[in-house]
Amino acid sequence: MTDAQNHKQAKKEIIITGFGGQGIILAGIILGKAAAIGEHMESTLVQSYGPESRGGSCNAQVVISHEMIHYPYVSHPDILVCMSQSGYDKLIQQIKENGTLIIDQDLVRPARELKRDFFSIPATGMAEELGRVMIANIIMIGFLTAVTDVISMDAAQKSVLESVPKGTEKLNTTAFKKGHDYGLATLKGRQKKAAGQAGAIS
Amino acid sequence: MNDFKIILFLCNWGPHTAFQTLQDTGREIPDEVSMIRIPCTGRISKSLLFKAFEMGADGVVLAGCKPGTCRYGSGTATAIENTEDTRDIIGLLGLGKERLRHVTFFPDESDLLLKFLNDFCNQIRSLGPSPMLPIPITESEAISRESLAEIVSYHDAFACQDCGKCSSACPLALIGKPFSPRELVNSIIAGDMDSPSVNKDIWSCLTCGLCYDRCPSAVNFPEFIRDIRHVIRKKGGNAHEAHGGFFQSLMRAMTSPGLKTQRWDWLPQDVEVDSKSKILFFGGCSPYFDIFFRNHLGVETRKILKDSLRLLNFFDIKPALLQDERCCGHDLLWSGDKDNFLKLAAMNVESIHNLGIEEVITACPECYRTLAHDYPKYGITLNFKVTHIYELLENEISKGAIDFKKIDKKITFQDSCRLNWIEEPADLPRKLIRRLKPSSFREMQNNGKSAICCGNCAWTGCDAFSKALQVKRLRQAHDTGSDLLVTACPKCQIHLRCAMEDPFLGEELNMEMIDLTGIIAKTICWE
Ligand code: SF4
Ligand code: SF4
Ligand code: SF4
Repeated sequence: MTDAQNHKQAKKEIIITGFGGQGIILAGIILGKAAAIGEHMESTLVQSYGPESRGGSCNAQVVISHEMIHYPYVSHPDILVCMSQSGYDKLIQQIKENGTLIIDQDLVRPARELKRDFFSIPATGMAEELGRVMIANIIMIGFLTAVTDVISMDAAQKSVLESVPKGTEKLNTTAFKKGHDYGLATLKGRQKKAAGQAGAIS
Repeated sequence: MNDFKIILFLCNWGPHTAFQTLQDTGREIPDEVSMIRIPCTGRISKSLLFKAFEMGADGVVLAGCKPGTCRYGSGTATAIENTEDTRDIIGLLGLGKERLRHVTFFPDESDLLLKFLNDFCNQIRSLGPSPMLPIPITESEAISRESLAEIVSYHDAFACQDCGKCSSACPLALIGKPFSPRELVNSIIAGDMDSPSVNKDIWSCLTCGLCYDRCPSAVNFPEFIRDIRHVIRKKGGNAHEAHGGFFQSLMRAMTSPGLKTQRWDWLPQDVEVDSKSKILFFGGCSPYFDIFFRNHLGVETRKILKDSLRLLNFFDIKPALLQDERCCGHDLLWSGDKDNFLKLAAMNVESIHNLGIEEVITACPECYRTLAHDYPKYGITLNFKVTHIYELLENEISKGAIDFKKIDKKITFQDSCRLNWIEEPADLPRKLIRRLKPSSFREMQNNGKSAICCGNCAWTGCDAFSKALQVKRLRQAHDTGSDLLVTACPKCQIHLRCAMEDPFLGEELNMEMIDLTGIIAKTICWE
C-alpha cells in the first residue's frame, strides 16, 4: 500500500484549538476544503460556538475520511493543533496515544511531565515578522501539511487561496510557504539528528 | 644551446667562490643558467623569487651558505623559509614545486655545484618549459587630457562642492596622515597629475567608501580612485605594492592559460562536493595567503572555505568546485592593472559557463563584489547568479528548526568594507550574528556604515598610518570588553593580525578572531 492510498483510506480526526480571533475556524475550513475538493474525500467541520467564541477558547473539529462520515464530533483526535495554552490544557489528555501533537511554541508551553513527542513552530512570531499576527493560522496549515500526511501540498495551497479574502493572496501564499518550509526543515533536522549529524562540524 | 631559462641567485660569500672556480678553470656551465650575484640569500624575498618566474624563468635556484656559516647569521634560515613558502605557492599554482630549489655550498665545493647545476637543468628540461607566460613589459602611455576628463566626468567629480566632508570622514586623515581626498579630487580635476601628492596619495586610499557615504554630491571616490589608478599605472606609475608586489605578481601569473591550478587539493575528505552540481562554490585566494603568511602571522583563512563548504553540506548542498579556479581579479582591478583583471575575469567566467553552472556561491566579500558587480560593469555577461553565502544561510536558517549552541564568548564585529556596499539585502552579517548565542554582542564605536576598515586594500600603499589605523581599530574592539572578534573577510583577519604582531603593542592588541562562517559552523545545530 502506498502512502497516498494509505492516507486516503484512513480516517483522520483533527482538532485545532486556540482563542477567538485567531482564525481557528478558518483553518478548519481550509483543511476540510482541501480534503473534500482537492483530494475528493469526505470531510466535516464542527465549530465550537457559545460564550467562548469571542476572545475565549474556541476550537474546530475536522473529520476527514475516504468513506461516508456518520458522526462529525471529535473527542479523541489523531491530530491536535494547539494555538492557546487553555486549549492545550483542556485537550491534551484526549489525544490518541499515537496521535500527533502540534503546538505554536510562542503561545503554548507544554507540561514538563509531557512524555510524548510533538511538533512545534513559532507561528505567531513568524506571522508578526510578516507584519500580520492574523496570519499565524495559515502558517500553521502550511506546517501541518508538511509534517503530517492528511492533505497534499497542492490541495492545501489551493484551498488557502480559495478561502482567504481577495487581495491577500500573496501574503497568504508567503505565510503558507513559510510554515511549510519550517515543517520540511523540522523533518530534515529530525532525520539528520537520527543519523547522528546534529551540527555542521561533526 | 636551448631555450630554457634558469636563474641562479648566488650568494656573494660561500657558493660564489665555488662558481668562480668553475669559471676560472674553464668548466662547462650549462648555457641556460643565468647567474645573479647577491649579497645574501636571506634578502631574496618571496616576491623576488616569484618575480623570476613571472619574467619567464623555467627554473630558479637560490644558492647560499651552509647553515651556521651565514655571514649575517640568519640569512640561510630565512632563505630556507622563503623558498619553502614560495615552492608551496607555485605548487598550488600548478607551476610545479620542483622548479624552485634552495641549496647550500661551501666555497670549495665547485664539483658538487656543477653536478647540481647539471642535474637541475636536466630535471627542468624533462619538465618542459614553464606554463607561465612571461608578462610583457608594456610601453608607458602618457596620460591624455581626454582620458582624465572622461574619468572625471564619468564619476561626476566636477560636482564636488569642495565641502571637505570626505576629508573629515576619511579614517586615514583622522589617524593623522597628511592625506586629503578633497585635495586629491581637486588636483586631478585641475589635471595636475605629476604633483607628488597625487602620485603618492593615489595609492594610499583604502577605497573603503566611507567618504562616498558622506559626500553630498555622491562622488564615488573609491571607484574614481580606482579608474585614475588605471591611467597612472599605464604611464608606468609605481603602485606602492605591499610585500614587494608578490600578490600582484601571483594574480597576474594566473592569467597564463596553460596553468592548471590545484587550489583544492587540501580539502578534508569529509567535505562533500559534486562535480555535476549546478551550484558552484567559488573559494578565492585564501590558500595562497595562508602559505605566504604561515611563518609570520599564522593566519588560517582557508578555514573559511572549509567551514563554508561544511555549512553548505549541513543544508544538503553539495556544490561543484572550479578545479582551475583563478583569482577573481579584485586586487589587480583596485591596484591599477585593469588589463590583467579583464583577462582573469574572462577566464573564470568561461570556466564557469563550461560547467553549466546556474548559481555561484562565495564566502569572500571581494570575490562577491567583483563577480556580482564588477564583472557585469566591465561588460562581461554572466549566465549565472552570484550569491553571498550569508544570504543563502539567512534564507535556509529562516526556514526554521535551526538552533545555535551557546558559546561562552563576548563578541564584537569587524565590518567588511566590500559587504558594506551591498544595499540589498541590508546588513546580513548582523542578522546572522543576532541569531547566535554568545555571552554578549557589543558593537565597536565605529560600526556599520561608519566602520573603520582593516587598514589595507588590494595590497597597496601599506605604511605606518595603516598600522596606526589598525591599532585604533583593535583598541576599539577591546573597549567593547569582548574577547572574540568576528570578521567577515579573510583580508581583515590578515591585516588585523599583522598589527597584533607588533613587538611593542602586540600583547595589548591581541584578540582571538574567527570568521562569521566559522562561528556559525561551530554552533549551528538542528533544533
Ligand atoms: S565630500 Fe564630496 S563634495 Fe565634499 S569635498 Fe569630498 S568629494 Fe567634494
Ligand atoms: S575611500 Fe576611505 S581611505 Fe579612501 S579617501 Fe575615502 S574614506 Fe579615505
Ligand atoms: S597590514 Fe600587514 S599584512 Fe596587510 S598589507 Fe600591510 S604589511 Fe601586509
